[in-house]
Amino acid sequence: MKQLIKKFWRTFSTPSVHLSFGLLTMGGFIAGIIFWGGFNTALEVTNTEEFCIGCHEMSDNVYVELQETVHWQNRSGVRATCPDCHVPHNWTDKMARKMQASKEVWGAIFGTIDTREKFLAKRGELAQHEWDRLTANNSLECKNCHNYDSMDFSIMSERAQVQMKMAAERDQSCIDCHKGIAHHLPENMNSGEGMLGKLEEMATSGYQTGQAYYSVRQLPLFEDQGLSTEAGQLNAATKVKVLAIEGNAIQVEIDAWRKTKGFGRVLFEDFAMNINDGYLTKEVAQSDQFMTQGESKTDDLTGLPWQKVNVTLWMRNGSLTDSRDTLWTFAKSTYDSSCSVCHTQPAEAHFDTNTWPGMFNGMLSFVNLDGDTQALVLKYLQKHSSDFSDAH
Amino acid sequence: MSSNESPTDNTSRLGEWKTFIFIIVFLFPILSVMLFGGYGFIVWMMQLLMGPPGHG
Repeated sequence: MKQLIKKFWRTFSTPSVHLSFGLLTMGGFIAGIIFWGGFNTALEVTNTEEFCIGCHEMSDNVYVELQETVHWQNRSGVRATCPDCHVPHNWTDKMARKMQASKEVWGAIFGTIDTREKFLAKRGELAQHEWDRLTANNSLECKNCHNYDSMDFSIMSERAQVQMKMAAERDQSCIDCHKGIAHHLPENMNSGEGMLGKLEEMATSGYQTGQAYYSVRQLPLFEDQGLSTEAGQLNAATKVKVLAIEGNAIQVEIDAWRKTKGFGRVLFEDFAMNINDGYLTKEVAQSDQFMTQGESKTDDLTGLPWQKVNVTLWMRNGSLTDSRDTLWTFAKSTYDSSCSVCHTQPAEAHFDTNTWPGMFNGMLSFVNLDGDTQALVLKYLQKHSSDFSDAH
Repeated sequence: MSSNESPTDNTSRLGEWKTFIFIIVFLFPILSVMLFGGYGFIVWMMQLLMGPPGHG
């Protein structure tokens, strides 16, 4: 053996005597092309759905679940296959992922998840790996197909518009909200769907003019009675006074404060309290047509000037309730159940009103709450913070 | 290679052919795969240490 290697090395390291320069370079060149083609072909083969579902762990669990979703079948006939979402498309990350798959080969040999029960027990952990990856790369694999710039917001439902426009502005990671879109969620995770229904159920009907009501969720505001020109958005659990009811549209008055730095687009419930009441479009925020401006005060703590405003806009008839109590009950149970999954949640009055948003937003990535529920829970926490309670 | 070759100082024509074929068919392809695999493995290990690849 040693002799053989020695002999090989001698031939390898000395100029060839019998083979021409052209033959060696040409031979090497062609062999290189064939190798690279073969290598990529092999890589492609491992990047097909047939390959992925070659293991029953994949074909019996996640593959079956995918078939119930829009990523499997839809009106436009485009579908996502396993590697579209689960294998990075850029070469370096792809190679790393292929090597990482050695762990999956290990798992297949030793039967780590070879039964449905074992798979379900591990689903949370496996899902978290994918969420971590998509969170880190800002949902790159989603965005290989879906593009904020190519979205036509006008054909989305109003509720989707509100959320998607905000997401597009921040180039938000898709997975922040769309967990469980292609496979089932791990057990014990609140599904965002159904929440909206629960919130809408809390809405009352038959509003009285002159009465105050609260929004059950985030709602679009309009400049005109025809509800055609967008004027902004009303936050969840926000107090409005109904001024007029005209069929499908209602005119409401929002009593709020705003900071007079910038365009003053964001509305707050009270002076120096960052409790969001919604926001206005730039046009509305800068126009006197829709609002009367009241007193101005400066918050000594931040040095920011605040101004009381009275905004009158139109909104769709519905989704208002006459008391915040049911909303708070719902928010409290969501807060208690979602946050206690990982830790003992702090008492509502443990932080003050302006501390809660930072605390809350820092924890959001660990839970699966849709935008409406997030807004509602945050408002609940702020309205029950130390500023409004004697408990602390 | 095969043992029926006489160990001469000057490599035979057959020996050169065998070495050439061995290199382009087995040695270099295997080394390349090991190289790419090793590269992928190192990147994977880096990802374990520094978190999944980000965007940007």
